[in-house]
Amino acid sequence: MSSFLLQRILQGIVIMAVMSVIVFAGVYAIGNPLEVLIPPEATQDVRARTIARFGLDKSLVEQYFLFISNLFQGDLGQSYIYNEPVLQLIGNRLPATLELVLTAVLGATFIGVPLGIYAGYKPDSVTARTIMAVSILGFSVPTFWVGLILILTFAVSLGWLPSGGRGDTAELFGIDWSIFTLDGWSHLILPATNLALFKLAIMIRLARAGTREVMLSDAVKFARAAGLSETTILSRHVLKLISIPIVTVFGLELASTLAFAVVTETIFSWPGVGKLIIDSIKNLDRPVMVAYLILTAGLFVTINLCVDIGYAVLDPRLRRGRAE
Amino acid sequence: MTAAGKPISEAPILEVRDLATHFFTRAGVVKAVDGVSFSLNRGEIIGLVGESGSGKSVTGFSLIGLVDPPGRIVGGSVKLEGQELVGLNDAGLRKVRGARIAMVFQDPMVTLNPVLTIGQQMHLALAAHESISKRAARARSAEALTRVGIPDAPARLDAYPHQFSGGMRQRVAIAIALLHGTKAIIADEPTTALDVSIQAQILSEMRELAREMGTALVWISHDLSTVSTLASRILVMYAGRIVEEGPTAQVLRSPRHPYTAGLLRSLPAMAKPGTDLEQIPGTTPSLLDLPEGCPFRPRCDRASELCAKDPPMTRADDRGYRCHHTLEEMVSA
Repeated sequence: MSSFLLQRILQGIVIMAVMSVIVFAGVYAIGNPLEVLIPPEATQDVRARTIARFGLDKSLVEQYFLFISNLFQGDLGQSYIYNEPVLQLIGNRLPATLELVLTAVLGATFIGVPLGIYAGYKPDSVTARTIMAVSILGFSVPTFWVGLILILTFAVSLGWLPSGGRGDTAELFGIDWSIFTLDGWSHLILPATNLALFKLAIMIRLARAGTREVMLSDAVKFARAAGLSETTILSRHVLKLISIPIVTVFGLELASTLAFAVVTETIFSWPGVGKLIIDSIKNLDRPVMVAYLILTAGLFVTINLCVDIGYAVLDPRLRRGRAE
Repeated sequence: MTAAGKPISEAPILEVRDLATHFFTRAGVVKAVDGVSFSLNRGEIIGLVGESGSGKSVTGFSLIGLVDPPGRIVGGSVKLEGQELVGLNDAGLRKVRGARIAMVFQDPMVTLNPVLTIGQQMHLALAAHESISKRAARARSAEALTRVGIPDAPARLDAYPHQFSGGMRQRVAIAIALLHGTKAIIADEPTTALDVSIQAQILSEMRELAREMGTALVWISHDLSTVSTLASRILVMYAGRIVEEGPTAQVLRSPRHPYTAGLLRSLPAMAKPGTDLEQIPGTTPSLLDLPEGCPFRPRCDRASELCAKDPPMTRADDRGYRCHHTLEEMVSA
């Protein structure tokens, strides 16, 4: 197991190194930030000084290695626009995204999987058909539209919930969190629901498909022949048998939503990283873009590693180096 | 001839009367089991033999009320120690399954859950019928595994099914079936998926266990030679019905139904070396479209006009057969 872990960590490091080159070159190719940084009426002198200050006079390769050596000192550079260290900028916004996305993905999983199992267990029941209808809606209705409708319904018409922002926050480990205050929750619930809907639909479908397949298996029939109750069969046998695809999708969804919750964050003015990246792309804020993309790659690598470990925990057949 | 010298007068542990299980498919009603009757005495081993599609497995599943839709038991009676199982509700059946009648399946590769340890699966099977502590469950499970011949049982409880060989897995399945001291086990081709040498081992162990624990067995198989080494009685099934039954030795020596005779002739062990094996001509009829009268008629070389009428079950001196032109009739004629 530990050699497997080491191997995966090494792989992750290689991926990160490759990603950093691709990201750096890609962002370099998008455009020259000088047009944004320097006012058109600036003198030649100011222009030259600015270029030198940001190191833009150096070659791409030189800039890259400068970036990497700074990276190892924990310095991801300074935002052109906010004049703040990038790390601090992202660090301030990441918790907001983190709590929003975790609430959405965890909620979708813990609600979606039981619903899906039920729908797979009793596929012909009215409840199952209703669940599947809801999941089709979750799939097909665009996120931004659902977000707007949620605001219209619960914030504008009913006035039950606020339409945007994070609300009151409470501090833990020096970071502000909305999930620790009631007001924070009232702000969180709409955007989290909005984000969760699509994932809920996926989880329902995955769990349903898996359950339908597993229920027909001899393993379930044998468990029934041993007199196990249906509840035990579902909770102990079926749940574990269908969990591999669920964990896979959970990891993928968690990572991609963390990186790209942009639409929901914009609609609900949620001050997360999604909004930050869109702003920095608009402003050609290179350091923010590069740091953000590299952090995202790191996030994917880490989550995939966790998913792989999860596989090994869930399915003994996938544990390498442990066979007898 | 009853097994192990048990008195005939003792009430049978399992009594099946006119059991009928039909599948209501879009193409029509499939009469997979159509009027099967037999009884199983305590400690007795009977063999249920037939080709694929003859309804022998469905019979097995019907006995424990585990017929998958669109199938359903449409008639008859299954009495386990006097208790009627046909028509019993799910909760009632659940209490019976595993505790008083158990089943072992064909393919040990797929009957055990691959993601749970053997110990966990045995604990679940124990907990299904009694409240038991984890420790007690482990002790009981280890004991059950030892009984079926698994070495180093306490350590093997933490192993997963894929860490066992096929034969060992089937032993685990048998151990699970025996956990509650079940008096009747339905074994649905439990050795078919195994190597021949392992088959022989499991067969002799099953016979030994059945004798030791007084467990009665319904041994379902397509393999007449396997059954003949094990069972004291043989039931031959064809197209959802029992066409011949009787004590093993007698049925093997002098089959009365042409189908049984055909089965016997197609056994390699019965053939002269170097000659072609005899086959029963034709194939098993579709249960959706059974010929009128005797279902074996199209494949039978003895068929006559009389066979357009369904032959009744004739019972005489501990044997039974469903044929208008029994082989003995031929001999005596």
